[in-house]
Order: sequence, then C-alpha cells, then structure tokens
Amino acid sequence: MMSPSQIAVLWAALLVVMLACRTLPLVLLRGRSLPARVERAIGMIPAAAFSALVANDLLQFDTFASDPRRVLVVFASAGVVCVVARRSGSLLWCALTGMGVYALLGLVV
Amino acid sequence: MDAQKMGQAMGLAAPVMLAYVSIGIPCGVMEAQVGFTPLTAFLFSGTYYSGAGQFMVPNLWMAGASLFSIVLSVSFVTTRQLLYSTAFAPYLAGEGRMRTLGFAALVTDETFGVNLDRYASGEGWDSTRAIVVNVACMLSWALANALGAALGSVVDMPIDVLSFGMTAIFICLLMGQPASRTTAVVAGCAAAGVALCKLLGWGGVSIFVGAVLGVVCGVLFEEGTGHDVA
Repeated sequence: MMSPSQIAVLWAALLVVMLACRTLPLVLLRGRSLPARVERAIGMIPAAAFSALVANDLLQFDTFASDPRRVLVVFASAGVVCVVARRSGSLLWCALTGMGVYALLGLVV
Repeated sequence: MDAQKMGQAMGLAAPVMLAYVSIGIPCGVMEAQVGFTPLTAFLFSGTYYSGAGQFMVPNLWMAGASLFSIVLSVSFVTTRQLLYSTAFAPYLAGEGRMRTLGFAALVTDETFGVNLDRYASGEGWDSTRAIVVNVACMLSWALANALGAALGSVVDMPIDVLSFGMTAIFICLLMGQPASRTTAVVAGCAAAGVALCKLLGWGGVSIFVGAVLGVVCGVLFEEGTGHDVA
C-alpha cells in the first residue's frame, strides 16, 4: 500500500509533467504566425493522433500471442464500430455498439 | 452561456462521460487496492486526470516499481499531450491566457477528439463550450474514480469490455476525418509507427511516436506528390 505522503509525491510529480505537456505548446504557439509547412503539419495531427490511439488499443500483441482468438474479437468489434461510425457518426452509438459487440463476441468466440 | 449552447456541449460530452463512468469505477477500485481513499481518488482524478496514467499507477506499484520508475513510465505516456496542445493553438489564438490555461489543463484523449472535431468543422465552436465539455467529462471521471475507491473490491467489472468503449470513440473520430490520400497516408503511417514501437517494447511512447511519424509522412507525401497542397 502507498502511504499518503507517497501518494502526494506521486501526484505532484505527475501533475507537473502533465500540466507542462498540456499547456506549454498551446500557450507558446497560439496567436503566432507559423510557416505554412508547420500549419499543414498541425492540421494533420488529428488524423495521426486518432489513428495512433486506435492502433494502440487494437494492437495487443502480448494478448494475441497468448490467446489468438482475441484477434478476431478485437478486429471484428472494431469493424462493426467502423460501420456504425460511417452510418451514424454518433460517438454514443459507437461506444455502446463497440462494448456490446465486444462482450458478445468474447462470449461466443 | 445560453441553454442551447449548454445543451450542445453536454450532448457532445455525454458519450465520453458514459465511457468515463464505465472505466472510472474499475480504475478507482484498483487505486483503492494501493491505498487511495475516495477523497484522494477524486482529487487525483480531478487534477492529474488521465485514464491511461491512472491505470498504470496501481499496476506498476503492485508490480513492485519504485515511485521514480512510476513517474518516469507514466510521463512517457503523457507526451502525446504535447501534440494535442499544439493542435489547438490555431483555434485559441484570440483567447485570454487564463482561459487558455483553464481549457488546456483538462484536455484528454477523448475531449481532444470531440473538441477538435467541433473546432475543425467550422461551425463556430467556442472555448466556453469546449471548457464545459472538459469540466463535465473531468467531473464524471473524478466522481467515478471516487465511487470505485469507495466500493473497493466489492465489484468485479470486465475492464476490457468497458475500455473498448473508449476504443470505439477513437474509431468514430478517426472515421470522421476528411477522406483524402493524405489522411490515408497519415493514418497508415501513424498506425505502423505504433505497431513498430510496440514490437520494439516501446509501448510507453508508441502513441506519441506513431502520431509524429504520421504527421511527418503526411507532410512528405504532400510535398512529394502535390496532393492536397493548397
């Protein structure tokens, strides 16, 4: 178990790093005229970040190695969510469908 | 702020809040196992406010990691916030410093996604609604963590199923990106970068490295082919 002082030290250290990462680029860059190349690069961050987040969640190599059936569960669920996202564009429907299909496939596969 | 704008912000926050409650409770349960009280779980979650980071803390502690090692490992995961913060810079150019800081301090993977999606839509999204989204999501996360810490080991929740709700939100946001060759190159290279990092055992920085690789490849692709370059 962590002591209250250990939790406090951990909290303070993590908070400093988190706040620096969350605020410094925004505070330093906002309102500045940036080169066209940099502005184009910034415009690509959403697609890059979302793709990286999805890949990070889907590519569970350790789990796949120990339980290959998880590949089917994870990617089939993701495929269904893609269809729902394309048709509805709703975050809520995607979240609910994703959890439902994932749970169902986890039971039957 | 009028009721209509508040409704828009809360409507956008609702799916994320649902996912946060689903994931926040098991996260609080794990935090309780390493000594967090409901109050410390609430304060930790409301200020540090990071799902991935907060799941890592109890896991690493129970695996015998030192405090220094935990801070270092979790900080690597935090680096992706640098990209999110950079992406918002063009949209908050006219805002005051305190408002900017207030907004930036509460950006997560999910609120980055929904707010940037609205800003990029060109439909007049503003910082007030963006902050409402951030605060509502933060409160749902912090309260869910406190509830989980209070419940302790009384509940047994399927964390993998619940966390897939987050994955589904990211998939929805990715599918909403403009369809172009550049987007395909950016997304493909980002995913490849993540895969490579994970195979090399650099999971802690995979999102940051993957996203940076995606952006670099996208810029090079545009400059090399002339696609999408204005």
